[in-house]
Amino acid sequence: KLLFTTGRCGAMRIMMADQGQEWKEIVVDFADWMKGDLKATCVFGQLPKLEDGGFALYQSNAILRHLGRNHDAYGKDGKEAALIDMMCDGVEDLRLKYVKMIYQEYDTGKDVYIKDLPNHLDKFEAVMAKNKTGFLVGDKPSFADYSLFEVLLNHLVLCSSCLDTFPSLKSFVEKMSARPKIKTFLDSEAYKQLPINGNG
Amino acid sequence: MSLTLTYFPVRGRAEVIRVMLKDQGAEFDEKVITMEMWKESTLKASCLFGQLPILEDGDLTLYQTNAIRRHLARKLGLYGKDQREAALIDMMDEAIQDLLNKYIKLMFEKDDSGKEGYLKALPTDLKPFEKTLSGDKGSFLVGDKISLADYALVILLIHHQVLSPPCLHAFPSLQSYLKRLCARPNLHAYFHSDDFKNRPIIPGKRT
Repeated sequence: KLLFTTGRCGAMRIMMADQGQEWKEIVVDFADWMKGDLKATCVFGQLPKLEDGGFALYQSNAILRHLGRNHDAYGKDGKEAALIDMMCDGVEDLRLKYVKMIYQEYDTGKDVYIKDLPNHLDKFEAVMAKNKTGFLVGDKPSFADYSLFEVLLNHLVLCSSCLDTFPSLKSFVEKMSARPKIKTFLDSEAYKQLPINGNG
Repeated sequence: MSLTLTYFPVRGRAEVIRVMLKDQGAEFDEKVITMEMWKESTLKASCLFGQLPILEDGDLTLYQTNAIRRHLARKLGLYGKDQREAALIDMMDEAIQDLLNKYIKLMFEKDDSGKEGYLKALPTDLKPFEKTLSGDKGSFLVGDKISLADYALVILLIHHQVLSPPCLHAFPSLQSYLKRLCARPNLHAYFHSDDFKNRPIIPGKRT
């Protein structure tokens, strides 16, 4: 698999690492991107792009679901699949708020965002606590878990104490981080050198 | 399936669910929640993310519009014939959601000042769908059968024509796609029904 990358690739990288899926990464320099040649070939003029065999896929959440299907990370039945979709959509709503704050309102909105954050995290805490398996749905990691894990890692950079009142989420992050392949990936130079967001 | 859809008395984010179910001839009940009921009841607190719609399917209670849509699409065979088609359907659907979110943002703006800029940018957003549907690539966004993504696109195009009737003039494939989908017997009947016509797109904005 080939991944042309941007900031919206965190969860898919972590998922592929954890699932032992090898991939090649092509990091597109912003200056190169602005030249337009690659952009013109992208169906919606955006990255990321995943090439899987001869098949090109765009849209980060479509890529996440595709990987989920391929790696048995989409639940054991239709009911679990639906719940995983629901949780992933909830994570995406939070990611959109985070991205908006980072790119548009960092100086003015950061404190308000952090103050409001518990009102969003409590929902994931409740689901995680209720499920008792250490995952959002079922008894193994799904793409919703990888997506949540990535979003929580980013939030811990923003505010290192943001999970202090959420024991299930805190434990989730610790356990996911300790999974051998994820730990290797997070400790790698490749990961450490990638900025979280495009604006520092 | 015993389905119950709970939502406000508007098209909003739930309309695409209604359109899909109507087209497929799937029976469902509807619980309508007015804004007053929403504010006064404990329903909001009981919703996982404090939002509507809700879908009840037997003992499964689902929130998040797109999770509901995917669940129904899987049940009704509207998710492509294989994993590759499913991935492409997801890709198309995500792009449609991007445009839908821009549209919703515009609809909720307090005045019309953003409309001109929006309509100027719209062709750029429509072009990839026009390209996908042009040539002899088939009648639907992915494969040779209607999917989850087609329902989202058809209602979005209908609403854009309300916003700006000439918006599809430069897009012959989208025009013919819309015409073809709206001619499907169940959709034709539904779009001409009082049920659909009298339901506002969003609160306070008539169609």
